[in-house]
Amino acid sequence: MLMPSRRRFFQLSGAAALGSAAPRATAALLKPGRAEHCIFIWLGGGMAQIDTFDPKALGDAKSKPSKAGSYYPSIETAVPGVRVTEHLSQTARLMERITVCRTVNHRVIDEHAFATNLVHTGRTLSGNVIYPSIGSIVAYERGAANPEVPAYMLIGYPNVSRGPGFLGAKSGFVYLTDTESGPAGFTRPDDVSPERAAARAGLLEPLRRRFPVGSAPWEYQEAQSDALRMAGPGFMRNFQLSDEPGSLRQRYGGEFGQRCLLARRLVQAGVRFIEVSHNLNFINGAGWDTHNNGQLQQHVLIRELDTAFSALIEDLERQRLLDRTLIVIGTEFGRPAAFDGGGGRGHQGTAFSLVLAGGGLNHLGAYGATDDLCKLPVESPVGIPDFHATIHAALGIDPAKELLDGSRPVPITDGGVPIARLFS
Amino acid sequence: MQIASPWKPLLVGVLSALLLFSPALPVSAAVDAAICEQGLNDADVWPERPPEATERFVIPAFALDRLPAKFVDEGLRGERPSPSLLRLTAEVSLPPGNHRFLIRSRSAARLFIGDRLAVETPFAPKSGGDGSQNPERLVPLDLGPGYRFAPNGEYERIASFSVPAGGPLTVRLEAFAGGRENKMPRRVELGETVAAIALEGTDVWRVLGPEGPGFAYTDADWATYQERTHRDLDQLEAATRRRLRTAGDVLWQDRRAAARQWLAATTEQPVPAAGGDPHPIDRFLGAKLAAVVAQQGNPDLSGPGAIDYFRDIKPLLDSRCLECHRGERAKGRLRLDSRAGLMAGGTSGPAVIPGDPARSEIFRRITHGDPDEIMPPKGAPLTTEETIRLARWIQQGLPWPDFPLVRREPTRLSDDLSFLRRVTLDTVGVPPSVAEIEVFLADPRPGKRAAVVDRLLADPRWVDAWMPLWQDLLAENPNILNPTLNNTGPFRWWLRDALSDDLPLDRMVTQLVLQGGSSSTGGPAGFGVASQNDAPFAAKGTILTAAFLGVETKCSRCHDSPTGSTKQEQLFQIGAMLASGPIDVPVTSSVDPVKLHAGGRKPLIEVTLKPGSKVEPVWPFGSFLPASPGVPAANPRERLAFLLTAPENERFAQVWVNRIWARYMGRGIVEPLDDWEKGAPSHPELLRWLAREFVRAGYQVKPIARLILTSTAYQRATDPALRAPDPLYTAPEPRRLLAEQVVDSMISGTGKPVRLEPLCLDLNGRRDIKNSTHLGTPGRAWMMASLSNERDRPSLSLPRLQAMTDVLAAFGWRGARQDPASVRDTSPSALQAAILANGVLTRWVTRLSEDHPITRAAVEATSAEGLVDHLYLRLLSRRPEAAERERHAAYLRDGFAQRFIPNPVPVARPHTPPKFVTWTNHLLPESNLAKQELALEAERGDPPTLRLTTSWRVRCEDVIWALLNSPEFLYRS
Repeated sequence: MLMPSRRRFFQLSGAAALGSAAPRATAALLKPGRAEHCIFIWLGGGMAQIDTFDPKALGDAKSKPSKAGSYYPSIETAVPGVRVTEHLSQTARLMERITVCRTVNHRVIDEHAFATNLVHTGRTLSGNVIYPSIGSIVAYERGAANPEVPAYMLIGYPNVSRGPGFLGAKSGFVYLTDTESGPAGFTRPDDVSPERAAARAGLLEPLRRRFPVGSAPWEYQEAQSDALRMAGPGFMRNFQLSDEPGSLRQRYGGEFGQRCLLARRLVQAGVRFIEVSHNLNFINGAGWDTHNNGQLQQHVLIRELDTAFSALIEDLERQRLLDRTLIVIGTEFGRPAAFDGGGGRGHQGTAFSLVLAGGGLNHLGAYGATDDLCKLPVESPVGIPDFHATIHAALGIDPAKELLDGSRPVPITDGGVPIARLFS
Repeated sequence: MQIASPWKPLLVGVLSALLLFSPALPVSAAVDAAICEQGLNDADVWPERPPEATERFVIPAFALDRLPAKFVDEGLRGERPSPSLLRLTAEVSLPPGNHRFLIRSRSAARLFIGDRLAVETPFAPKSGGDGSQNPERLVPLDLGPGYRFAPNGEYERIASFSVPAGGPLTVRLEAFAGGRENKMPRRVELGETVAAIALEGTDVWRVLGPEGPGFAYTDADWATYQERTHRDLDQLEAATRRRLRTAGDVLWQDRRAAARQWLAATTEQPVPAAGGDPHPIDRFLGAKLAAVVAQQGNPDLSGPGAIDYFRDIKPLLDSRCLECHRGERAKGRLRLDSRAGLMAGGTSGPAVIPGDPARSEIFRRITHGDPDEIMPPKGAPLTTEETIRLARWIQQGLPWPDFPLVRREPTRLSDDLSFLRRVTLDTVGVPPSVAEIEVFLADPRPGKRAAVVDRLLADPRWVDAWMPLWQDLLAENPNILNPTLNNTGPFRWWLRDALSDDLPLDRMVTQLVLQGGSSSTGGPAGFGVASQNDAPFAAKGTILTAAFLGVETKCSRCHDSPTGSTKQEQLFQIGAMLASGPIDVPVTSSVDPVKLHAGGRKPLIEVTLKPGSKVEPVWPFGSFLPASPGVPAANPRERLAFLLTAPENERFAQVWVNRIWARYMGRGIVEPLDDWEKGAPSHPELLRWLAREFVRAGYQVKPIARLILTSTAYQRATDPALRAPDPLYTAPEPRRLLAEQVVDSMISGTGKPVRLEPLCLDLNGRRDIKNSTHLGTPGRAWMMASLSNERDRPSLSLPRLQAMTDVLAAFGWRGARQDPASVRDTSPSALQAAILANGVLTRWVTRLSEDHPITRAAVEATSAEGLVDHLYLRLLSRRPEAAERERHAAYLRDGFAQRFIPNPVPVARPHTPPKFVTWTNHLLPESNLAKQELALEAERGDPPTLRLTTSWRVRCEDVIWALLNSPEFLYRS
C-alpha cells in the first residue's frame, strides 16, 4: 500500500514552495495533537492585553498627563507567577488548563478589517490568492466529525475574513447571529410547521424525477436531501438551549455565554470548528474597541468574558470534552499601555495576547513575555503564522501541508511553527 | 445616490420632454436645476453672490435625491468639487396666506420665496465620521398620517411664511452637497432634498412645484416621482457621455479604417463547405465532428478493465502531473501533455514501454519508496487504484485520442420553450416573462428564433447579464467602509456605462488601461486602486494579461512561472506600463532564496528578478505583437492600450471571442480561458474565423453573440446526462445558473417587489469619500458587494441585503473579489439547498403579499389547473406534465372556490417612523436595538394578503416554494 507514512505526514514538504519556511526540526519531532474540535472565540475590536491577560503595573488614565499602565489591579492565578486582571477571577482559578500567548505580534496597519483578515487567515493580502480563514482550513482538512452536520459554523456576522477563500463555498461556514433563531437556511420560517414542511417536500417530489442518476442536477438533489434532513429535528435540536439545565445556562451568563454553551452543544453534535463572536457592543458602545469612553465599561465586558470562558472550560471538562476541544480566544490586535486623549486606548499590533485552552495541550498558564508596558515581546515571540500552526498542530493538521489554489500549492501556514512546549 | 431598478425592463423611450439639456431659461411648469461647482469653500458659509451654474437641467418639482453623475474626459465618471451647490428655481403661483413650508436636506439648504428667506437647514457638523459616539436623532419628523419620513437622517425644518397676494413669485431652493470631513472631501450627494408646503389651515403636505402645491409627499407618490426623475437623469447622463465621446470618435474611426486594412491584407479563414448546415459555425463544428468520428472509428470501451483515456487517465494527468510536465519548460524535459512526449521521455530516458508497465520509468517513479524520488513530488502519492489504472493504460498500449467522443450524433433542435428560457437567461440573466413566452409561442414566423435573439440583444438587461463576468474578470472589489482589503474603486459604474453605450471592446479596454475619471465615483481609475497591496500595479498586470491575452501571470508575482514561459519581469513590465513609470519589486513579492534552496529536491520555481530591482515600462509580449517604433503613443499607458488592442495583436480578439463563446457554449475553444499556454484550441479554424469577424464588426460583442445564438449548435436540445460541456458541441449539458442569475430569477420570476436597504454604512454622508462609498440600492444582484461588518456590530449590519448575499454566497458569488476569476465554482452543496428552502429571500418571494403579482393571478384564476399552468410557465418556462399538473392542482383544489375574500377589513398599519441608523450613531445601544428590530422585520417579510383565505393561500405558497426549489429552476437546459 502506498499510504502516506507518519514521517510524510509531518514532513515539511513545503520547503521549496512559495513563501514557505525552511524545514524546522522541532516541527517534525512534534507529536500530532489530539484535539478533535475547535471553539474560536472572537473579540472584535481589539482586546486590551494589558487590562486582561498580560497585566502590568497600574497606570492612571485620569492624571494629567495620564500614566501608562494597567487600568485594573492584577491577581494571582492557579499557575504560580502568572497573573491576570482582577476581572478574570474565575478564569484565574483554571489557569492550568490555559496558555496565554503574550507575545503575538504583527505589523499591519491600524485598521480593524485588515487585521481581522490577518488573524483569521494568517496572511497578508496579495490580490493573487484569496486565503481561507482558519475555520475553513480546519473544515476542509478534517471535515465534520458527523456527516450530518456542517464542519464549520459561525455565531456572528459573515465577512470575507471568515470565508473559505480559494477553498470554495463548500468549505464555508453556516452562520447564525442569534442563538434563539438558529442558523440561516436551516431554520424553517415560523409559519412552516413540520406538517407543512412535509407537504412541501411532497409537492417537490414529482419535480425531482427529471434528471438521470449521476447528472449534475441529480447531484444537487442529493445535496438537497441532506439540507431538508438537516432542517429537521435531528440537527436543529442542537439549537434548543432550553434543553440544558437552568443552572448551567445561568452559569454561562448572558447572550455571549449562551453562544458558548451552544458551541459546546455543536461540538457534541460533531461540528469541527465553531467561531463565536463576542461583540454585541451593548455594554460599552464600542465593544472591545475601547477608545475614549469605551474604557469606562470595559470591566463589564471582561467579566462577561470571564464568566462565559470559565463556564465553557468547566463544562467541557465535566463532559470529558476539554482534552478533545481546543478553545482559542482571538482578537485583531491589542492596545497600548498609554491612554488616548479621552482616557481610552488606541490600537497596538506589536505585542498582544491570544489565548489557548484545553485541546490536550501541555498548558503553561502563559507563554512568552513582553516588556514593562507590553509594547514589544522580550522573550519567545509568536508570529501569527506560528499561532495558526499551533492551532493546526493541536488539531492534527500539518501546518506546512500544501493546499491547491487551482494548480498552485499554498502551504496551510506561511512558514508557521507550532509552539513546541505545548506539545511535549 | 439611488440606482434605478432594472429588475423590470427599463422603458427606453424618447428623451423626456420635461428634461431638456441646457435650456436657456426655466420653461413654464418646470423647475430649473443648476449645479454650481465654483465659488464655494469649505468654511460652511453661504457664498456672498450666487455662484455660476456649471450644469443646468430641468426637473418637475422642488425635489431631487440624486445629482446627475459628473462626467469628464471621454465620458468617464469624475468627481465634483466638494462642496457643490444645487439651485432650483421657478416662478411659482402661490395663493396668499400664512402657509407652512418644509425643507429637507442632508446639509445646509435655504428656501427663498420672492427673495425672502422662508426656511433653512444648518450645515452638517464637521466631525462625527470617526466612529465615536456622536448622538444623532434616530427618529425623523412626523408630518402626519400618510406622509413620508425623511429616509436618511436629513435635516428638516418647518417655518410659517406669509405669502402676499399678487402675481407669481420666484421660488429658489439652494442646497449644499458634500463638504469636508477633516479637510477631506465628502461624497457630493444630495440626500432627499425637498421643499414642501402645507397651505394655511391644512395639514396636507405637498411637494412644491411650479404650479404651487404639487404631488402629495407620501411614499407612494414619491416613488413615482423618483422613478421618473431617475429615468430622466439616466438619459441625461447617457446623452452627456455621448457628447463627450464625439471628439474621440474621430480617432476611433481611424482605428477602424486601420483594422479594415489589416483584414484586407491578411488571409481570410475559409468556412468549410456546407454539409447541409447553412450557418458558418455549424459548418466548422460539423466538419470537426466528422473528422473525429472518422479518426476514432468504434473503440470498444465496454469490456471489463477497458481504459477510456478521457474518463480514466486525463483527469489524473491533469491534476497530478501536467503542472510540471507540460510545455517547453517541462521538468526533467519530460512532457506528459501528448502521447509523443510520453514516448520520447525526458532526461531519465523513455517514460513508458507500451504494453509493459513494469518496465516503464513512469510506473517506477510513482511507486518509488524514496521521498526524494517519488512522483508526484508534492501532496499524497497516487492511490493504489490510480496506480493500477495507469498500469492498465500502459498495458493496453497507451490509447490517446484527440477528443472524447461524447456523442456520435448531435442532439436535435431544442423545443421552443427550452430555447426561449435558455437564450433569455443567457442574454439578460433572468427567465422569460409569461408575456414574452406567449408572444413567442404565438409567433408563426419561421425566423422567430432569430427575432427573439435580436430583441434580447437590444434589451437593456443585456448589461446586467454581462456585469458579473466583468466584475470577476477585473476583480472589481469596492468596500463600503474603510477600504483596506485589496479594494478597488467602484468601477462597476464605468463598466455599466460602457456596456450600456455598446462601447467596442478595444475602446473599452483602452479606457481601462488609461485609468481615467475618478477612482471614488466609479471611473476606470478605480481599477488602478489596490488598497494595502505591496505591488498594486503588478496585481493589475496579472488581471489584464489573464483577461485580454490569456496569459496567466499569478505565479509571476513572486517568481518565474514554474512551467509556463512567463517571467516575473514580464509581469512587472506590464505593471510599470500601467503605472506609467518604473516600479520596484518589493521583497514581499519575491521568494527568499534561502527558503527556496532548503530541502533535498531541486526547487520547482526560479527567481530571476531580484527584490528591490526597478522595472521599466516595456512591452514584454513581442510574440503577440512586436513593439515597433511606429506605435502612436505618448506615454506607457497609451502604448500598452494600443499594443493590447491593435488588430495585429490577434491574441486579443481571439481571447475575447473565446470568452463570448464559452459564455454561451459552456466551454471555450481554448481552455482554460485565462491560461492559453495550458491548452490548444479544439477548433483553431473556427477560433480564427470568429476573431476576424469580431475585428470586422468593430470589436462589438453583440454581432458575435448573434452569430453564436443563432447557430444550430447553440440551439440543440440538452443531453441531461452530460456532466460537462462536450468539446465537440454535440449537445449542451445542464448548466447551473450563476449566483446572480439565481437571485435575479427568484425575484424576476415571482415578480415580487423586494425592498432593500441602500448599500452604504454612511447614509448621511459624513465620512470622507476615501473611507466610505455608497453603492446605491441594488436593483440587480451584481450590484451587491461585501457587507463589511468586520466589527461584528449589529448596528452595522444590513439585514435585507444580507438576505440576498446569503443566497449569492452559497451559489459561488464572492462579495470581495480580491483576485480575478474566469470561472465560478458551480458544485452543489447542502447550504445552497438550505438557503433556497428556508432563507429569507425565499420567504419574501413565496409569501403572497398584497403587492405580489401571483396574489393577483391567484385571485383571478378560474381553475386550480389553470393556476398551476400559469405558475409553471412563470417559474420554469414550461407547461406541467400531466402527473405534475394533477399533483399540484389537487393540492390547490381544496378550498379553491372559497379562497377569495372580496372585501377584507383592512388592517390599520401604524404610522411609525423608521429608525435611522448609520455610522455617526452606530455606537449607541439604541442603534443596535433598532437594527435588530429591522432584522426581525426583514425575516418576517411582508404581511400576507387579506384577499385570500389563509388555509388556501399557504397551500398556494407551498406550490410556489416547490417550483422554486426544484433543481430545474437552478439549471439551464
